[in-house]
Amino acid sequence: MQTRLYIHAHRAVRGLIEGEYRSVFHGRSMDFDDLRPYVPGDEFKDIDWKATARYGSPLTKRYIASRKHTVVLVVDTGRDMAALGASGEVKRDIAILAAGTIGYLAIRHGDLVALVAGTSKATQFVPGELTEAHLERILQRIHTATRLDGAKSNLTGQLEYVSRMFRRRLVVVVIGDDRPLADDEQKLVRRLAAQHEMLWLTIGDADLMRADWSRREMYDVADSSGVPSFLRENARLRAAFEESVVATAERSEELFESLSISSRRVTDQDSVIPGIFRLLEAHKHARR
Amino acid sequence: MEVIAWWAPIAWAAASVLVVVLVVLQVRQVRARSRDRLPIAHAERLTALPAYRRALATYRALVIGFVACIVALIALSAVLTARPATVLLSNPELHNRDIVLCLDVSGSMISYDEAVLDVFDSLTTQFTGERISLVVFNASAVTYFPLTNDYDYISAQLGRLGTEFQDDSPSYLDGTLLGNGSSLVGDGLASCVTRFDRTDDERSRSVILVTDNIIAGEQIFSLPQAAALAVDRHVRVYGINPGDTAAKDYLREYAVEFEKAMNDSGGAYYPLEDPAVVPSVVDAIEAEQAAVIPGAPLVTRIEHPEPFIIAAFGVLGALLLLAWRLKR
Repeated sequence: MQTRLYIHAHRAVRGLIEGEYRSVFHGRSMDFDDLRPYVPGDEFKDIDWKATARYGSPLTKRYIASRKHTVVLVVDTGRDMAALGASGEVKRDIAILAAGTIGYLAIRHGDLVALVAGTSKATQFVPGELTEAHLERILQRIHTATRLDGAKSNLTGQLEYVSRMFRRRLVVVVIGDDRPLADDEQKLVRRLAAQHEMLWLTIGDADLMRADWSRREMYDVADSSGVPSFLRENARLRAAFEESVVATAERSEELFESLSISSRRVTDQDSVIPGIFRLLEAHKHARR
Repeated sequence: MEVIAWWAPIAWAAASVLVVVLVVLQVRQVRARSRDRLPIAHAERLTALPAYRRALATYRALVIGFVACIVALIALSAVLTARPATVLLSNPELHNRDIVLCLDVSGSMISYDEAVLDVFDSLTTQFTGERISLVVFNASAVTYFPLTNDYDYISAQLGRLGTEFQDDSPSYLDGTLLGNGSSLVGDGLASCVTRFDRTDDERSRSVILVTDNIIAGEQIFSLPQAAALAVDRHVRVYGINPGDTAAKDYLREYAVEFEKAMNDSGGAYYPLEDPAVVPSVVDAIEAEQAAVIPGAPLVTRIEHPEPFIIAAFGVLGALLLLAWRLKR
């Protein structure tokens, strides 16, 4: 998992996304540390123009972070996440790639990565550490916990856990799916957003009306009820469904906007890295 | 209305059950084998849509219609293969009769003749295919009307003769007194027997002879000879003898001869005193004929597939329409 991430990160985007992360969570303090070459994504105002002029290429000022951040990954490991996503890939795999990317960025930056994961039955907490081995364990845990025969999903349980257990301000990254938040959940999330710095990554759910799936049987992992294939070929219904998917995504985006949460919806593994980049960028500009 | 192939609906039902069982088993097997069901989450994203409910309702209605059509089609096929039919029992030979009414018109016989005419006048309304002829005789025989199935004509002629019986100088006597004597029964019967035409046809031929068999004069045919002629020509003779009563012992000899002649010809003999008994005698003759005439009653089955075929085609059309709509 991390190897793939590493390859992804090492290719075109690694530097870019690292810079993005750094500029978002740089933990700026008054204590100047040193200079280093400019990396795309660095804040322009951190560029030491005098040093740049002397040196001949852009140099960025680095400060000693006033304290380490703790990034808490809130991940649903119920069986909803073992279902298929919008691209036909398993949502769990997309979630792990996203969690790995964010965790990797955090660790590279020197932040602690913690995990709050669970189902409707139980919520587990893995305290923050700074090593890649720790991150790997976290990803392993997500991977093994998320199974089709696992317990039902209940992301609210994990969010409640976060709101109950953590007093200190944290960076909370929620990895959820297309399910719209109910009213009481919105209240909970609003409270969390006031206390913590929140980012929300949505993994798009399966396209139920996908044409090449219309002949295959389909069932809802929540209650094993089938989704009748004879209706999944209906052109009018397909149009209505696509419309509703777009509308739902827009509604949840508006909701997160109103709750001051940076959010992003990704649909497949290839869109995870760019998606996180955009998420961080949006978060930076929102200046929450 | 009854069915010819009563077992057909049972066969259809059995075949239908068999097919349903096989299909259910097959579907189960396929279901069990297909392990690659797609796991998805939040199906309510689709199932909560109004468009989904509409589509589902439409689909359900179509499926219900489709199943109803199949059931109707099977039911109609079952009915068709059971071959519903109306069964008619008929005896074609009864309608294949030729009857010659052979009336002795000597004075004493008039009231009996009248009664016979009345009965046959009413019988003509029930006849289909029977032919009747009327021959009157005294010294010689005269054909009042020949064998015909023109029942209006028969009825008119019988009525006319009925009224002539009341006249003082009746015209029906014309030509009946040309013989040597009067009431020549043997000659009269022989004449009647020879009145049948189309002798090659397979028809039942009978003579209803009304006479008291009191002969005055010299006849060419005696009654037994005339009866032998009737046997020869396959004609049954039914005799009605009003003169055969205990009070007239002097007539006994004639009556015995008459009865013997009738029985010899394969017919029957009915002695009677009162003209009012004639209708029952004619009924008896009819019944006797029905019993004597050979050949089993013909069973005619008229099948009625038309409404079922039309309905089946209608249902088939609806079925195809629904199938096309379901596939779409």
